[in-house]
Amino acid sequence: MSTITAYKCTNCGQVMYPHHLRCLNCNEREFEEIEPEGKAKLLTYTIINELPWGIDERGRILGVVEFENGVRALGLIKADKVKLGMKLSASMEPVRVIGGEEVLGLTYS
Amino acid sequence: MRPVVIAGVGMIPFERRDEDSLVDMLSMAGLEAMDDAGIGEHPIDAVYVGNMASGLFNRQVSVASSVVDRLNLMPAAADRVENGPASGGSAVKNGFLAVASGYCDAVLVIGGEKMREVIGPRATDVVACMTHPLAEYIYGVTLPGLAGMFAQLYMEKYGITREHLALVSIKNQDNGILNPNAHIHMKITMEGILTHPQSHINNPVVAEPLHLYDCCPVSDGAAAVLLTTEELAASLGKAAVEIAGVAQATDTHTLQERSDPTDLKAVTIASQKAFSMAGMEPGDIDVAELHDAFTILEIAESEHAGFFAKGEAASAIKAGETRIGGKLPINPSGGLKARGHPVGATGVAQIVELVWQLRGEAGERQVEGAANGFSLNFGGFGNNVLAFVLRRR
Repeated sequence: MSTITAYKCTNCGQVMYPHHLRCLNCNEREFEEIEPEGKAKLLTYTIINELPWGIDERGRILGVVEFENGVRALGLIKADKVKLGMKLSASMEPVRVIGGEEVLGLTYS
Repeated sequence: MRPVVIAGVGMIPFERRDEDSLVDMLSMAGLEAMDDAGIGEHPIDAVYVGNMASGLFNRQVSVASSVVDRLNLMPAAADRVENGPASGGSAVKNGFLAVASGYCDAVLVIGGEKMREVIGPRATDVVACMTHPLAEYIYGVTLPGLAGMFAQLYMEKYGITREHLALVSIKNQDNGILNPNAHIHMKITMEGILTHPQSHINNPVVAEPLHLYDCCPVSDGAAAVLLTTEELAASLGKAAVEIAGVAQATDTHTLQERSDPTDLKAVTIASQKAFSMAGMEPGDIDVAELHDAFTILEIAESEHAGFFAKGEAASAIKAGETRIGGKLPINPSGGLKARGHPVGATGVAQIVELVWQLRGEAGERQVEGAANGFSLNFGGFGNNVLAFVLRRR
């Protein structure tokens, strides 16, 4: 898995992530599987000091980005300075250990 | 639908309650509501228990069955209602429908949560289980984290400052001092949480831009209402307050899929429907209990519910309009910030506070002459919202 799978409605073109069984815009049920493309623009972010059990760190930066093909996704930001609107590159890396297993997720740098 | 009256209310103080189990707390609050109504030996047809996560917090499920057993209410119907932080509001809605439809004459609705049985980071994880498993949870996002991302956008769009957030926090903690059932009874000042160079020691960042005093505490507690027909309530001499409007609306699970993430559509729709059902407008409301799990939410909800135009709540707060004695007192109970937020209890506790206010029984925090009240119970991050309009009869 090198990235996430997002979904594009074959009827109206609405881009969705995560998955739905009916399009959020037109209720159609057929989707093309797509991948996020291009640079990721940071729409919003937070720096979390009080993290859940199992994440033994402070200051984890999470943000929502929008890719050039319209996919929006939350991810872990690995940048020293964070600014709304900045352009980032996405990778797929371990983001959390759940039930003893490393889980892969989007990271942005 | 026939009218539904709140004949009795009950609440145990919200705090850290190591000595009481979840079922103890639910049962104590339920019994208080029964006694407040003076229901005596009259049968209770159904019990709805609002609770988010007893399985994860307390290793106990089927708590509604346990409550009817504890209170000897068998063979009453009993259901636990789970709807995240809106569990309490959803339980009240179910109770309302049961009485309004004619299916039940007397329904006991209890909300409660025992969160302090686990340590802080565990509680943070349990609450985060309401986020999307794939698109959110795996990244370690927390509810303060989602609120932080929302706050970045809302504050920038509407020119809200940390001072405005602090004013909400100070007001609600001032109100909490007047509420014997509130978890927090501590005065805070602008200097102590914002303007002093060392204020960050008292008020560290939880999730940028939100600090400790922008977030509700983690509490144990329970609250209850007894809903009946107007005839039964009148025979008990307890027909003072009715549920005039109730509505619920949903939105996308994740914040990122909303075309405008600053637009809390479910709050707007639920509020409008509740006002319409009651035949009222926001201007008719004398007192409101909003879901200030985070200070930014009190501001955003007061705008989306229609009490202020978008971007105008901050100046109203600064002018003192939302304090007790102001034009529209918001959260005279102390809100989630000071009363506490035992998750499943909150939607019920908001209604208990409104009933006390409309009956004129709110003591030092009484809003003079309050006749119409509004409450908003905000589930997920705005993906499941309930609004209630209460009227003094």
